[in-house]
Amino acid sequence: MSAEAERRWPSARVGNVARLRAIAAARPHLAYRERVIDAPFDVVWSVFGDLENGVPQFDTYVRWLRIESREGERLTLRSNAPVIGPAMKFEAIYREGWCVMRSFEGEVGMAADALDAGRTRVAHVEGSRWLCALGRWWFMRTMARELETLARLCEARR
Amino acid sequence: MVEAQRGDVLAMSQLMDALAPWIARICGGIALDHADDAAQEALVQVFRDLRDLREPAALRGWARRIAVREAVRHAQRARSEAARGDDTSALVSEARDPGVAPDVRSVLAQLAPEQRAILVLRDLEGLSEDEAAAQLGVAKGTVKSRLFRAREAFAKRWAE
Repeated sequence: MSAEAERRWPSARVGNVARLRAIAAARPHLAYRERVIDAPFDVVWSVFGDLENGVPQFDTYVRWLRIESREGERLTLRSNAPVIGPAMKFEAIYREGWCVMRSFEGEVGMAADALDAGRTRVAHVEGSRWLCALGRWWFMRTMARELETLARLCEARR
Repeated sequence: MVEAQRGDVLAMSQLMDALAPWIARICGGIALDHADDAAQEALVQVFRDLRDLREPAALRGWARRIAVREAVRHAQRARSEAARGDDTSALVSEARDPGVAPDVRSVLAQLAPEQRAILVLRDLEGLSEDEAAAQLGVAKGTVKSRLFRAREAFAKRWAE
């Protein structure tokens, strides 16, 4: 095969949401939700990806979130969750369209991809290794409402 | 790798960064129009079964086998659906405007999925005939004959 053919070799599209979906499939105790939002990617990520100001507006379990340090894509954060803990410490990998966070108490993931016609697909995964089936079901219900809130916030900013 | 096997999401994120573009390229050349679905299912399988992989050094070979299997499965299903008339996308992808220079995708679309798989393993991934035979679960002689026909067909259509 020529070098030119290798250079032009076709590739599948594996976006941020597809990546998070695969990670969520490996962590069945986590609750996972997707939604298409009728707003462009940059508008959606300006809320969804704004950890300190955006996330507390839609995430039921986050009263506040503070970035304590940043080194490239690696962040350390502190968060206050009304039910789970007074001040959880998270480590995170963060870039545009992608964020995964891990603390002693739980794991969180957020992903977004631009779609056609100014729409955006978002995915959210959240939970804890100690989550029972009922807890996971509860998280699923809560996350559906959270993504509904996120969609309203984003659509209002269009 | 061991941390990803234990379920650490940060380690899984880093492993995803390493594997996703590579798996996308393997599936892209075999499953063509159905590559997105093939790559998604391959990644789901890889991450879901990661904890069962006993030898971390075997990761690439193991993941490659999953990706090739998923890509061939999707391509074969698309071909049989197209032959039954359920789905025309596989046939559409094989149609080519004679006035336009061939691109790799349209040349590959004229090969069978099994031929595309052997091209990926031997010419793109650089595996030996023995390794390719082991990955595909076929005899070395089958790899040789498929490869010969695939290279010949690819070169002929690429040069057209």
